[in-house]
Amino acid sequence: MSYKEATNRRKFLTKAGATAGLVGLTVTAGCFGAGDDEEEDEDGGADVEATDPDELGEQLPTYQFLNNAQSYNPPRHDAINLMADQFGEIGLDMEVEVLEWGTLFNRVDVEYDYDFSTWHTFFTIDPVLELNSTMYSENTDPGEGNFAGYENPDADDLMDQYLEEPDADTRIELIHDLQRTLMEDLPQMPVVDMPFLAVYNNEEVDNWEADLPLGFNSYWTMINLEMQGGEDTLKGYWPEALDTMNVLGHNDENKHTYNFSVMYDSIVRLDNEGEINTDVSLATDYERVDATTMEYTIRDHTFHDGEPLTVEDVAFSYNYISENEVPVYSVQSNFIDEAEVVDDSTVRIHMPDDNPLGPFNLLVGTQIPILPEHRWADRDEPSQVNVQEPVGSGPLQFDYWDQGAELGLERFDDHFAPVDFEQRFWRIIPETSTVWENLRNGDLNYEPFGRIDRQLDENRDEDQISVESLPATSFWHCTPNQRSDGLDDPEVRKAAFNAVPRSAIVDQILFGVPEPGFNVVTEAFGPLHTDDVPRYEEGVDVAIERLQDAGYGYDEDGMLHFLAE
Amino acid sequence: MSKASFVVRRLLQLGVTFWAVGTVLFFLFRLMPGDPTAFVVSAQMTPEARQQVIESYGLNEPLYVQYMRFLENALTLNFGQSFHTNQPVREVIWTYLPNTLVLMLSAFVVAYILGIVLGVLTGWYRGSRFEKTTVVTALTARSLPTFYVGLIVLWLFGATLGVIPMSGMGAAGQTYDSFWARIFTLDFLHHLAAPAAVLAFYYMGYPLLIMRSSMMEVLSQDFIDVCRAKGLSERAIMFKHAARNALLPIITAAAIALGYAVGGSVLIETVFGWPGLGREMVNAVLRRDFPVAQGTFMVLAATIIILNFVADLLYGYLDPRVTYE
Repeated sequence: MSYKEATNRRKFLTKAGATAGLVGLTVTAGCFGAGDDEEEDEDGGADVEATDPDELGEQLPTYQFLNNAQSYNPPRHDAINLMADQFGEIGLDMEVEVLEWGTLFNRVDVEYDYDFSTWHTFFTIDPVLELNSTMYSENTDPGEGNFAGYENPDADDLMDQYLEEPDADTRIELIHDLQRTLMEDLPQMPVVDMPFLAVYNNEEVDNWEADLPLGFNSYWTMINLEMQGGEDTLKGYWPEALDTMNVLGHNDENKHTYNFSVMYDSIVRLDNEGEINTDVSLATDYERVDATTMEYTIRDHTFHDGEPLTVEDVAFSYNYISENEVPVYSVQSNFIDEAEVVDDSTVRIHMPDDNPLGPFNLLVGTQIPILPEHRWADRDEPSQVNVQEPVGSGPLQFDYWDQGAELGLERFDDHFAPVDFEQRFWRIIPETSTVWENLRNGDLNYEPFGRIDRQLDENRDEDQISVESLPATSFWHCTPNQRSDGLDDPEVRKAAFNAVPRSAIVDQILFGVPEPGFNVVTEAFGPLHTDDVPRYEEGVDVAIERLQDAGYGYDEDGMLHFLAE
Repeated sequence: MSKASFVVRRLLQLGVTFWAVGTVLFFLFRLMPGDPTAFVVSAQMTPEARQQVIESYGLNEPLYVQYMRFLENALTLNFGQSFHTNQPVREVIWTYLPNTLVLMLSAFVVAYILGIVLGVLTGWYRGSRFEKTTVVTALTARSLPTFYVGLIVLWLFGATLGVIPMSGMGAAGQTYDSFWARIFTLDFLHHLAAPAAVLAFYYMGYPLLIMRSSMMEVLSQDFIDVCRAKGLSERAIMFKHAARNALLPIITAAAIALGYAVGGSVLIETVFGWPGLGREMVNAVLRRDFPVAQGTFMVLAATIIILNFVADLLYGYLDPRVTYE
């Protein structure tokens, strides 16, 4: 009996919510049977014929699934409870430990002290940039990024080749191979592909076009928006206060990136197809001179304070960020050796000879902000500077920052890709119901946070509210720690993935908005993504069969055992 | 003991208390699980860059070195620099504290005036329907979660009737030259009314119940009969003689409540989108922003300690029978 067949919404929510609590909970205690078999499941474990006791070896250990508090992220909290419950259904002895987010993240990402973890992966402009940290064999020491403990020299080799390869077509082949490798080994299970969401008042603003890394909060989106009905202000919100106005001093959280990406130009910009578009970029032309050198032609432009933006500013920005080892751009700095001015409109950026980067434009060119040299040259520790009135050259310029309450930006009329609105503000509104009331009454006209919750489901059919959804580059992962006995076996991981009720999580917990996951490189990455990866059918029965075929057995309580030698 | 020696002795105690609170706070935050840099750095940051961040905040130093530096800086009221905003903690506090104070003090003043007056009346009219209704209301106000009352107020007066704004301290896009320029505008008062009223409703119960019980005690004393025998009006006896004598316990309660007011109300600040210190304090703890967390808690602790000290002094002034022995 598969999970999908057995469950209905009431029982589903009971399962998802019943395990909520502040203490660890043994899911296999038998409280949550599937479907109509609740009585039969009360003894816990899998509903399966027991193996001959003489053939059974040790039982697999008890696994801890770390869960965020319900108040931090209710749907994810419920989904984790449900996954743990389903793992119990295939005979794993599961405990769910609910932790405050900071503690949870530290336990997983720094200490590697966990068995299963789930969160929303980080938005990234290129999948290998993330995978190179989380899946690279050399990064398995605490704090180095590979919290899954996954080691595969073939995958390492594919990532190395990809990052060095200047030819886009060859890179596509390499990353397709990498996806097949990762989905075969399954160090990380893609549970749900989270979408980019545009939620907006269609009577005031329209024409929402997303770009690859930042979705509907991108530069491309902002310069293409069309205001409706005489409205001239884009009115948004964020649930928590912004920390800083220092473009070099933030921690890459979306709330900062979304604002800095429109306040500062980068040398090149992406369009909604994920291609470099020089019509809306600071560089009107670019060329790869050799394996380690990029050359850019810079257009005439000015900063928000009226000073001209020159090639010297461009070269300064690259050299300054690289030389000062600005933490938030530490990955990009690895690929910058030096920037030099060639003439009044041309700048060259050299990569280190021993560390050339194939997709330089994508990974570096779209990321490094162009800074006014006259403002930054005298600042010694750029990431520590307390900036109150930032000056960039992007299509929106700083207007006011009422710290903790509101950020106001206004249109920069001299920009080469101007926006259609006069002002944009973000109010800090922690309370979700207030946000929706504001969206309905016109105090806000867009929802940049993209929260998927009941309020969205209840309001999406309002006449003036439109909701657009596109595949995003991130997903909810479920990562087993391969340092734990049993989880180092790909067959156990695959069985666990079979047991993850992806469709039910999407339909019941996330109101049908996202799509179930099947690949660690989502289709948002366009040609970099491939559908041609090993697929895993959903279902507890499939999982149990896989485990039995792989040489595991069950005791009378339905608990999973290694077989005796 | 003379009043002067009492003050000196209490000041010395204050110093020890500050040191103890600071020390507890310092170690408490460092004993919390979770690496503070995990919140400061990007997930894609290289391990070298992460180490650089750790060193820049001095978190690589031995704990005793960090502690000594903390004590040294605390003596000059320097609580360091926020890990997240890179602002000096003093500046962070200064950004949020006035917002909190104006909200909390408005609520406090309303709550204590109403609470004291109603406490006097309920004590005086003991056994009446008025007393029963008022006491039940006060207990209800005190028992209901403030965020729940806040949400109901927002739904009723904001979403349904549209007479109060849904969140914030002012209308969107309104900027002012200074805090003082802002708080004397109608727009600000309009935004202040609902959260202050909800808080006042909650706080009012405490002084009301204390005053009522204190009044009942005073009213049973002989001098009230003397006042009546002298032919004083009921109103004069109630407010001029009974209430004044019953006020003393309120002083301590008010001092503590005022101290807590500095810490703001996280729930109300969240529900009404009020950018106050309470929300910032909780965020600082959750994000392991040690300097801001330590600084804000120290301010809160200091206010409570100092106001208690002031209340002690006021006791002697208000009631000559209180001695400094």
